[in-house]
Amino acid sequence: MAKINKEEKKKQIMNEALKLFSKEGFFEVTIADIAKALDMSVGNLYNYFTSKDALAKELILYISKVLGEEIRHINMMPLSAREKIKKIVSFYFKTAKEKPEMIEYFLRVYLANREVFKHGCEGMICVSPFVTEIMIFFEEGVRSGELRDQDFFSAFGLFMGYLGGMVFLMGEGMLPNDIEFYVQDISENIYRALKNEE
Amino acid sequence: MKNRLVWLQGVTCNGNSHSFLNLPTLSSFLQTFEILYHPLLPSLLTLEQLPDANPDILVVEGGLRRGWPKADTDLFDLFMVLAQRAKRVVVVGSCAVYGGIFKEYDQEITGVLFDKEKKSKLYDQFSHKTINIPGCPANPEWIAFGLESDTMHLDDLHRPKELFAVTVHSGCTRNEYFEWKVDAKGFGLKEGCLFYEQGCQGPYTHGSCNTILWNEINSKTRSGTPCFGCTEPTFPQKDLFKTKTYMGIPAKMPLGVPKRAYLTITGVAKSFFIPRLNKRLIDED
Amino acid sequence: MKIDLLEKIEGEAYLEFKTDGDEIVDVRVLFPHFRGVENILVGKDAWDALVINPRVCGICGHAHLQATASLLESIYRIEITQKAQLIREITRFCEIIQNHLKWCYLVIFQELQIPYDFTTMHQTIALVNKLLALFSGQWPHSAYAIPGGVTCDPTALDIVKAKQIRAQIQSNIFKLFGSFEDPKKLEKDLKKLYETLHAKDLLSVGIGLNRFITLSQDSYVENVKILNKKKRKTKLRYIKEIGQSDSYAKNVTYNNRFYETGPLARLLQNPDFFIRYFYRKYKDSIFTRIIARIYEINILIKKIEHHLNSIDLNQLSVVEIEKKDGEGAISIEAARGSLVHKAIIAEGKIENYSIITPTQWNLSNGSSDNPSSIQKAIIGLQDRKIANLIFRSFDICSVCTTH
Repeated sequence: MAKINKEEKKKQIMNEALKLFSKEGFFEVTIADIAKALDMSVGNLYNYFTSKDALAKELILYISKVLGEEIRHINMMPLSAREKIKKIVSFYFKTAKEKPEMIEYFLRVYLANREVFKHGCEGMICVSPFVTEIMIFFEEGVRSGELRDQDFFSAFGLFMGYLGGMVFLMGEGMLPNDIEFYVQDISENIYRALKNEE
Repeated sequence: MKNRLVWLQGVTCNGNSHSFLNLPTLSSFLQTFEILYHPLLPSLLTLEQLPDANPDILVVEGGLRRGWPKADTDLFDLFMVLAQRAKRVVVVGSCAVYGGIFKEYDQEITGVLFDKEKKSKLYDQFSHKTINIPGCPANPEWIAFGLESDTMHLDDLHRPKELFAVTVHSGCTRNEYFEWKVDAKGFGLKEGCLFYEQGCQGPYTHGSCNTILWNEINSKTRSGTPCFGCTEPTFPQKDLFKTKTYMGIPAKMPLGVPKRAYLTITGVAKSFFIPRLNKRLIDED
Repeated sequence: MKIDLLEKIEGEAYLEFKTDGDEIVDVRVLFPHFRGVENILVGKDAWDALVINPRVCGICGHAHLQATASLLESIYRIEITQKAQLIREITRFCEIIQNHLKWCYLVIFQELQIPYDFTTMHQTIALVNKLLALFSGQWPHSAYAIPGGVTCDPTALDIVKAKQIRAQIQSNIFKLFGSFEDPKKLEKDLKKLYETLHAKDLLSVGIGLNRFITLSQDSYVENVKILNKKKRKTKLRYIKEIGQSDSYAKNVTYNNRFYETGPLARLLQNPDFFIRYFYRKYKDSIFTRIIARIYEINILIKKIEHHLNSIDLNQLSVVEIEKKDGEGAISIEAARGSLVHKAIIAEGKIENYSIITPTQWNLSNGSSDNPSSIQKAIIGLQDRKIANLIFRSFDICSVCTTH
């Protein structure tokens, strides 16, 4: 059997955990369940993550990095803020559809169980790669005059709350159409709410 | 032989002349020069005799403008005569260096080597023997260094790196608040950093205001006043007591720091609440 | 017509003499430079004036700063704490003291060729500015006075330091001028000054209008004018400023009359035995005017001591303010006399800003039947060199005048 390195193994564990959390719920799943699903011993798994809380934190960091990297890629494109909004919305929904466990973990576990993340994951620390890119997106949009200047969190809340709400509706099976059907209108709504009208 | 010194004033408020008088060692320092002309200090020549002066060092304070009367001559012509004869030209204060504050009223006013950040028409002729000591005003110890040393390293704006390689932020007593992103809750407090709300330009302004203290005792930022960036060609900017932000993010980053790096670090630092840095230093338990 | 250049007056001016034989029958003062500060301010955020206005003048910019802050406070209708008030007075008095010292030695002693101790003079000036900067951050060109108070937040440590520096200044001043105890027994440099003027028969020349005006109020002065020995309160609305075609300085009158402002005007408000002695003996002559400036140093250094002992550090440095639009006018004492700032603020921006400086009061150009103080002091003299000295006794600030 080809030996895989520690980082690869960690990724494998995280992917498996995400799937289980999403299917069974964060509190239902134990370290033993994850180990069992991966066909490894509990003791061995503890070599990678010292506790379930530690795993939970690494997961949010991992997701934030994946999302952040993609938005960073979009930020670097020579596009208007309006076009970037569409790219971000489209990417976010695509991820929600293809890897629902990722977005669900962010919405249902990270945001809903803040006490788990109280130590070492305060404030923005574990979502910094993602939030930083959103900040840069906003900052550049305002600097170029395309978006209206306002408090960062008023804009951030509008953007992320809207996207989170749609993913939630999708998860509950309440959307009559495929989530990607809504990309165009939602991007336009967000743009209209944020644009500079002067 | 002592160096012969002429201190020529152009379009100015005299602030640099008066700043220079604060030099703690002025009495002995002056012994090392022959003062042909200074607008405040006892001088060998009168202003009317200046066109005949033959200085080793020409100090220029104030912007240059053709048509500005200076005794019986034109300021610009007087400058040209003296600068051609001088071995070294020491340009003192932001008016003489870049054109300065009165340029806001009269666009014809320029600095000696620079017109704002652009090279002036005089650059090619005089840059080899000229150094710039900007500031509004320049610190007396900066001026003394400019007068005494000719072995300095100059940056792109001909400023000695010994004085202008650091930022005004360096040495500020509020640095701990900057590190942990604790903003000043208003003016009149010794606690908190003035970069986030109050318009402080210290983190991106070249100058040693907080390493060579003013009047040997203090600085703007230490006494709760934001740095206004007066050593830079952009001085004076607008809305000087407010930090320009785009969606809450400072429009100008600390010198040389990429925005992404800055936002990452600040996001993390802001996530921690440090009780010690969020209360008064004295008077509260 | 004879034209003399007057230099080393914080810039330059021209004196245009009309003579009849040797006698000066008229004189006009012309300021050739103009820097447009009032124009620069238009359209800027009102607070930017706190940074621009000190740049009117390298020697009394601090008075311009405080005038600006007070003006905005009058428009916002706010009162600052006693602590902020005391700190502002301390730093403003410091600026006046260093001003008087520079003028006394670098202008008057220099002109009269009286030898003096340069090192002690210089050390004292640097110390006064150090005391000033302990609160204001730096001198020249601080912007530490803002609407609502002062940006500094001194601790007991700063007050102790301030007291030490102040004590050193007082001892230096004693070293230079003696004790100011008996006007009949002038000491040290004051004695030298008296003897020099006496020898040149200059003690009683340069008598002005004998009309004095002060427009501001603080713990030291009141807003009163003295006309025919009568004191009356002054109001800023009676000030009139008139442009001149051949000079960048504007004439300024109160109730259509010219007045003298400055240390002598301030000191004559109070029954001060020291200055009264010289005023009775020499009227408002060059000597009385010079003595008044030097004597004021002694008054102010004691005021500073009192203020340092009175500061309650528990009070706020800055009170909360609400920015408002409106129109205002205030006056504040600068070294050379009452300084007036006026402005109109609309939508937070400066719509109009107007500055009247002390030198404008003293050096206006009137007519021969209605002369200004300086014209009165000079007309009738024979010697233009003496006229030049009399000009300097008013402590002229060219840069201020030609803001």
